[in-house]
Order: sequence, then structure tokens, then C-alpha cells
Amino acid sequence: MSLLRTLLLLIGMVAGIVQASELRIAIGVQDKAQLAMSGNAIPPNMPGTELIAVNDDLAREICRRIQARCTVTYVPFSEVLPGVESGLFDLGFGNLLRTPEREKRVAFSAPIWQSSSRLLGTSATAEAFAGKLGQPVSLDNLRDARVATLDDSLQLAFLNAIASQRGLTVIGKKTAQEAIDALRDNSADFALLAVLSAYSLLNRDTTRQIEFVGTAVADRGLGGTVHIALPKQNEALRHAVNRAIASIRADSTFQRITRRHFPMGLD
Amino acid sequence: MTPQSPRERHRASHAFLLLASAFALLFGVILALLAIDQQRVLLATQRLQEDTVPQIIRFQRLARNLEHLRQEGERIFSATTSEGRQQSLLLVMLVASHPSILEHPQAAAAARDTERFLVDASNQANRDAWSLQQRYAEWQNLSYRLSLLVDDLSVQGASLATDDLRDMMAVLHLARTKLIGALLLVGGFLLLSIWLLNRHLIRPLERIDQALSSLNVDQPAPEFPDARMAEIHAVEEATRRLHASLVSNDMARRELELLANRDGLTGLINRRHFMQLAHAELQRAQHLGRPVAVALGDLDFFKRLNDTYGHAAGDAVLRSFALLLGESLRQTDLVCRYGGEEFALLFPDSTLEQARVLVERVRQRFAEHDIRLPDGLLIRVTLSVGLADAGRRTIENALHDADFALYEAKRLGRNRVIVASETT
Repeated sequence: MSLLRTLLLLIGMVAGIVQASELRIAIGVQDKAQLAMSGNAIPPNMPGTELIAVNDDLAREICRRIQARCTVTYVPFSEVLPGVESGLFDLGFGNLLRTPEREKRVAFSAPIWQSSSRLLGTSATAEAFAGKLGQPVSLDNLRDARVATLDDSLQLAFLNAIASQRGLTVIGKKTAQEAIDALRDNSADFALLAVLSAYSLLNRDTTRQIEFVGTAVADRGLGGTVHIALPKQNEALRHAVNRAIASIRADSTFQRITRRHFPMGLD
Repeated sequence: MTPQSPRERHRASHAFLLLASAFALLFGVILALLAIDQQRVLLATQRLQEDTVPQIIRFQRLARNLEHLRQEGERIFSATTSEGRQQSLLLVMLVASHPSILEHPQAAAAARDTERFLVDASNQANRDAWSLQQRYAEWQNLSYRLSLLVDDLSVQGASLATDDLRDMMAVLHLARTKLIGALLLVGGFLLLSIWLLNRHLIRPLERIDQALSSLNVDQPAPEFPDARMAEIHAVEEATRRLHASLVSNDMARRELELLANRDGLTGLINRRHFMQLAHAELQRAQHLGRPVAVALGDLDFFKRLNDTYGHAAGDAVLRSFALLLGESLRQTDLVCRYGGEEFALLFPDSTLEQARVLVERVRQRFAEHDIRLPDGLLIRVTLSVGLADAGRRTIENALHDADFALYEAKRLGRNRVIVASETT
């Protein structure tokens, strides 16, 4: 009887891997314009494509290592987790931090890099708030401000948690670019974004109107290790992805991918 | 056997079971100790792989990011355009925001100070390009501080591995010492076992083997040193009992042989034994060319004596005659009760004449000898003898001639000696 159970388990595991041979991948994007992209078409010189490109390269390398055929779909960041959770996607990329709440919804791969969060704003706004606060603006002393961030993000959860105490108005946006646009049109005083996402947008912003404000934060759920989201029920796929990540790290492929798009290592 | 004082003895099976158990226990303890060391090495290796190496990688990453921060600072000071400075400044902010720096308090403080300084210097340069040169010395101090921190972090990372490897090496050294100690212990134990085996089993068995090989009734009972092993002692005792049994059996054999070869009434050898000895004696004499003679003697009127005085009287006469023969003949002469009242005699190294003299003397002494019967009556009995030469014939032929001469002695009136050559 136990032999039968073992055989069924093996068949189930093989079936899981076979199922993983056709993978649907979701990659969170920064800009509305990127949502229209399909296949491998990532327009060059478009703000915020670096992180997408890293995720894209990494996803394709993982697919190659686990010998799976992948279909990549670009979705707003806020749709990555629900998509994986509902089974619409097999792998979700999007600078996803691992939290207990999210672990109830999806499974996570081994870490791929590290992330932190930081306020962004115009220098004029930063100076104005510094004058009101009597000290340079930081996430720790920010109050009575309008703060934009991504929907369904940890930054949103953090801001909502302190909003009433600090008199903050939290504004949810679908993409990082929308959050930055809110700063430009003065519908928000600050934006709280993942540093990498913000950097890839600011790096191509020649106006230099928006800049980082205060110090970065990696605690309180606003930073840490970034993972790939997977459906909870597919352990075989998770193990295969973890082996692929270890292999990609071991032969320096990971460093080459990140260096191709960023001027520094992300791990 | 020399009496021995009681001594405590041990069963070899128990002793060697105890020895084997002690060895197994010792070996088990050694294995357990080595297993503990092996487990420590495995744990240290696991710690190195799972904790230390990732920690080293974190230190390397942190050092790399701080160095990156310093290099971008240099670029700000070497940039010729505001845009170039802004790009480097953005990168400084990106690097300073990296979690690897934020999680290390000293690095985080250095990065924060660096970012503030560079933002301030860059903003000032946007207003006055020459201000950068004035602040370069200040930047060099900050850059030097970053370089020192990079060096410190690199050394700290390497030291983590050094500490772990030192611990692992100490465990391996300890394990090697234990292994050498264990090998010496096992070697010593084996030598002790071999010595005990040799002393208490092999040598005693060799002594027993030697004793059994030379076990003989003519040798004294074997003597053994007092054995500590009960089984060896039992075999030694059995060897002693075997020797005693051999001696006893030999004595019994000798008694049986005596009974088989002697006549029960007279104590003389019987006819069968006489014939065996006579054959051997005749062969010897004929081989050496020595003279030899045989005689057959018969008590005269013995049947009438039996009928008159009874068989007890006849037996007394026969015993008396046998006694007289023993007293009258030489030690080398053979005498047997040939049957009934008939006696056979063999005279080695004696000519027919010498034998005749001897037989004649016996005849005369017997004829003059008073025999006391059981009822106290004294009687005399005579003897007729036939004598023959046996020097060149078989014992059977010689006795046949002697018998013929005896017949002649009877026929001529009894109580006389007739030599066969005289009648044939």
C-alpha cells in the first residue's frame, strides 16, 4: 500500500514538472505604455525598463534551465500576486518581498536579490517639508503629507498603517511611473517606492525634478529579499526554480544579467 | 599427583566472552567518540556552508557596494558636466539605499554621510563649479574612511572563514589524536589478548598434547602447572585419570595373562604357554647351536592314589610335586603341568646327559619325599620320566620322543628315567 502511495506521489511530482514545462510568466511593469507590449518586445530607452529587463532575462534563463517553454505577460505590479494566486500565472516577477501575509496566498522561490524603499519628491517639496518639520524629511518624521505608492504593495500597507497617526494621505497607483507622475502634477507630495524601481525611472528622467528624499529603509516590511511568486500547490516547480536560481548564481549568469541592465549588483 | 591448594579458576568461555565484551565495549566507545568528532566536523562544514559562506558573501557584497559608492563619489568630483554629476549622484543614492548597506550600522552611517556630502557638494557645484575643488580635500577624508571600511569588511569576511576552518581543524586534530589513541588501545588490547591466549590456552594445550603423546604406563603420571582456566584444568585432570587408567588396565592385563598362562592348581605354567615358550627357546637354541632337551614326567599310580585317598589327596600330591620341581630345577628351566598328573620340562643350554642328571635328581628326591595328605597321612609317590634331545627338531617331535621314552619307563617298571636315544 505504501509502495502504491509512493508511486502515486512520484507520478504526481512528474506530472507537476510536466505541467511546469509550459509556464505562464507574469512580469510587473512600471508604466502604462509597457502594458501594451507583448512577447519579447521591450522598447529601448523607455523609462523603468531595466528592472523589467532583468526580470525578463532571469525568467527566460530559468525557463531554459528547467527546460520549460514560457509565455511572458507584462502586467501592472498590483496584478502579479493575484494572477499567481488564482493560477493564471505559474511564475510572478515584480520586486516581490516575502511577508507572512503574502505567504498565505502564494509560494516564494529562493531569494533573487535585495530591495529597499525610499521616499521620492521634488527638491522644493523636500525643502518645504524640512522647513515645517525643522529637520530633513525622512520616513520616520514625515507627517501631514500626501504620499503616493503602488497598489497592493507593502509600501501601501505600511503607509496605511501609519496614515492616521501621521496625518498622511495615501494615494494608491497602479505603476511606479504613475506615482512619479503624481509628484510632477503635484497631486502627491512624496512617493514611497522600491529603490530599484524608482532608480530605473529617475535614471532616464533628464528633468531631474524628482529625487530621492531622506534615507532608504529596509526594515518594517519595506525591504529585504526579493523572490519569485509561485502557486502554492506546485512544490515540484518551486524546487525546480530554486535549483535553477542556484545554478544561475553559481556560474555568474545572475551577475551578468543584472550588470547588463544596472550599474551595480542587485544581490 | 601433587596435592594443590584450592585456587580460583575461571571458565575459558566466560573469560573470553568477558574479553570480547570488553573489546566490543572499548571499540564501541572509540567509534562513538569518533562519531561525535565526525558529527562536529559535519556540523562545522554545514555551518560553514549555510552560515559562514553566505555571511562572507554578504561582507564581500557590502565591501563591493561601499567601494562602488566611493568610486561614484570620485566621478562626481571628476565630472565635467552637471548631468554627469547628477547621474553619478543618482547612482550614489541607489548604492546607499542597498539593503546590504542599510543592515550594517557602520556602513549605513558611512553611506549616509557620503550621500549627504555628495548631494551638498553637487548642489553647491551647480551654483559654483569651482566649489568642488575647495571641497575635494574633505571628500578625500571621506573617501579614505570608506576605503578603510572596505578593507575592514574584507578582512572581517575572510576572518569568518578562518575561524570556522580553525575550529574544524582543531576537531580534526582531536579526531586524529583519538584515532591514534584508539589504534594504540586496540593494538594493546590485541597483544594482551594474544598473550592471554598463549598463556592460558595455547601453552597449556601444547603441554597436554606433549603429555598425551608420551603417556605410558612405564612413565610416571604427567605433572602440570596449576591452570587458571577451568576447561584446561579439566583436560589436565582427565589426562592424569587416563594415565591412572592405563596403569590399572596394564596391571589387570598382567593378572589376566598370568591366569591364562598358569595352572591354577600347581602354579606352574600351563601346556599352551609352555608350548609357546618352548618354540621360542628351541628356535633360539637351534639358531645359536646350543643344546636343549625336553622331558615328560608322569606320577606313578596316580589314578589308584586318587581312587584310594580321594581327589583332594591327588591335588596335594600334585602341588607337592610342583613345589619340589621349583626347588630342584634351575631358574632357566621350564616346567609345566602338561595334563593330569603329567608334567613337561625343558632344559635350555643343556645336553641330554646334563638334563638326565637333573631329572634323575628330581626323581630321586620325589621318591624320598613324604607328602602330607589333608587328613594328615604321609605317603610317597614315584615318578617316571621320558627324556629326549630337542636340539635339531621341533618341540612336538621332541615331546613325542620323550613321550615314547616315558612309555618305556612305565613299561620297564616305573620310578625311572629313560632317555629316548636309548630306546629309539
